[in-house]
Amino acid sequence: MRRILAVTTFTFRELLRSRLLFVWLISVIVLCGLDFLLSILSFGSILQIFMDLGLAGMEISGLLVLLLGLAVTYTTEMDQKAIFLHLAKPLTRGEYLLGRILGFFLVNCLVVLGMGLVVVGLVIFLGGGTVPALFYDCVVFILLEMFVLTTLGLTYQMIATSMVGVVLYTFFTVFLGHCIGEVQWLLNQEMSHWIKVLLRMVYYILPNLEAFNLKDRLYDPNLVLGWAQWQDILLYAFSYSFVVFLIGWINLEKREFR
Amino acid sequence: MEPTAVMTDSPCAIQIRGLSKTYKTGFWFTPKVTHALKGVHLDIYENQAFGLMGLNGAGKTTLIKLVLALLRPTAGSVMVLGGSIAQRSVRQQIGYLPELPYFSKQHTGRELLEYFGSLHGFSGSTLQHRVDEILELIRMRSAAGLKVSGYSKGMLQRIGIGQALIGKPKLLICDEPMSGLDPVGYKEMRDIFIDLKKAGTTLFLNTHILDEVERVCDRIGILHEGSLKEVAPISKILESSVPVDYWIDVDSGEAPKLSGIPFQEAVQKNGGVQVSGLVLAETLSLLTSRKAQVKGVRPLSSQVEAYFLNAIGAQAHLNRPRMGTP
Ligand SMILES: Nc1ncnc2c1ncn2[C@@H]1O[C@H](COP(=O)(O)OP(=O)(O)OP(=O)(O)O)[C@@H](O)[C@H]1O
Ligand SMILES: [Mg+2]
Repeated sequence: MRRILAVTTFTFRELLRSRLLFVWLISVIVLCGLDFLLSILSFGSILQIFMDLGLAGMEISGLLVLLLGLAVTYTTEMDQKAIFLHLAKPLTRGEYLLGRILGFFLVNCLVVLGMGLVVVGLVIFLGGGTVPALFYDCVVFILLEMFVLTTLGLTYQMIATSMVGVVLYTFFTVFLGHCIGEVQWLLNQEMSHWIKVLLRMVYYILPNLEAFNLKDRLYDPNLVLGWAQWQDILLYAFSYSFVVFLIGWINLEKREFR
Repeated sequence: MEPTAVMTDSPCAIQIRGLSKTYKTGFWFTPKVTHALKGVHLDIYENQAFGLMGLNGAGKTTLIKLVLALLRPTAGSVMVLGGSIAQRSVRQQIGYLPELPYFSKQHTGRELLEYFGSLHGFSGSTLQHRVDEILELIRMRSAAGLKVSGYSKGMLQRIGIGQALIGKPKLLICDEPMSGLDPVGYKEMRDIFIDLKKAGTTLFLNTHILDEVERVCDRIGILHEGSLKEVAPISKILESSVPVDYWIDVDSGEAPKLSGIPFQEAVQKNGGVQVSGLVLAETLSLLTSRKAQVKGVRPLSSQVEAYFLNAIGAQAHLNRPRMGTP
């Protein structure tokens, strides 16, 4: 456990010092600018704009930081072989992977929650309104999504043979993971058996990122978010991540470092 | 150096059996295959320093990576400290310095050592104490607070050695430990190795530096094109009779007495003559009979170098008259 923690702090420090938080800063500036612009033009409710844009901004900046972090660390760890030093130590490869995932996730939490604070500030002090409880639920859902994506990204890092590969795989997973609703819709249509089998595979392999998309339902009157829903989403996020982690671990065990 | 007897009865730190490694590169339509190692058998005994020598591309790094399970063997097996390298308890007792140690650049030297120390199970004040000890040993105290991105090659190498030593390893595996070090660093490193050896650490060094081999190692192995050509205790090599060339120094006024030395490949220059060790005694007695003042005799290459070149079949290099002799 102490070793995992050591890897986590190591990774966390590395990412923070790689100036990844610049991405966060730029996102905040862009968000505030957009908010300002839209509030002048006054499309609809200002508070609603603040919150919608804010939640989207949290997701996007979290994703950007993840992708950049994956690119940066792929170069050092895999291309330049810094990973040798870790793996020759009394550290199992599973511990290494888990420590990395947690380090990345910590940075992501910092980014998402930091952005969340800005949004709450905007709503309360600039908009003079209050933040509905559901907003905080949305934030937790985004964090869960980030956890799944972080696990996926680092697993790709253990499998892929180039930095571009890692970034592309992660990016397309995010993209397709948000299209899972469309895949589901296709599955209900009439089509050839084999295409259906293929689609079904895609459906089960890809993470269902729409499940974490609470922010689009912020104003849905039919939305129920009780204990059962929380149980479902937590179970889904962690079991999916666990399976992905195992795949990453197995690949890391098998991987050769030439 | 005191020649150390080979302790063949001492237990094996590393036991290599029939180890082969084939690299497959290229695309599927133009496959390229490199046989980097071909069935290597090797025992490395505890409390000894073993030096693995070989030309560039001989397979030394490949061998080390196989020992550390960073590569999987095509055939054969490796036992380390009586177990498998996959065991945490085995890795706990190993220090490894890679060929070109690379660290993520965002940390300071001290932070890196703290991190690697904590992986070895140190924490709190014991960790700090150990890190201080190591920084002192590798002479990096003053630069410890700097980010690694600002380090020179030799400083990186020093941190690399520091992280290899931080867990007080029983077995230290170094891939070209002297690369990038300045002459002082080079001597310091050699002293570190000699001290470690005295303290009972097993050393496995990959190296090209003959001097290092001579002064530190108890046994050497010569790897050539993936096969282990020779393994011998250094004491045996130092007393072996592989011929080396000698330089015989005479008074500058006596140059005429050097002419017409009847041995093949005797090379005469202003202040002396270069002869093969095979005819050293004869040449000296000839010079004595000519009443030449011999000021000194010294070997032009080390015994280890001769042995090495002999083993890889490059003896021709050695007997070739060289440029730049005095
Ligand atoms: N990643 C790799 N892919 C393909 N071939 C490789 C790879 N690494 C090494 N080789 C080949 O394996 C052989 C042995 O290489 P290795 O790095 O073990 O040599 P070495 O003895 O360490 O050389 P040096 O003294 O230059 O460090 C070489 O022919 C090399 O071309
Ligand atoms: Mg090498």
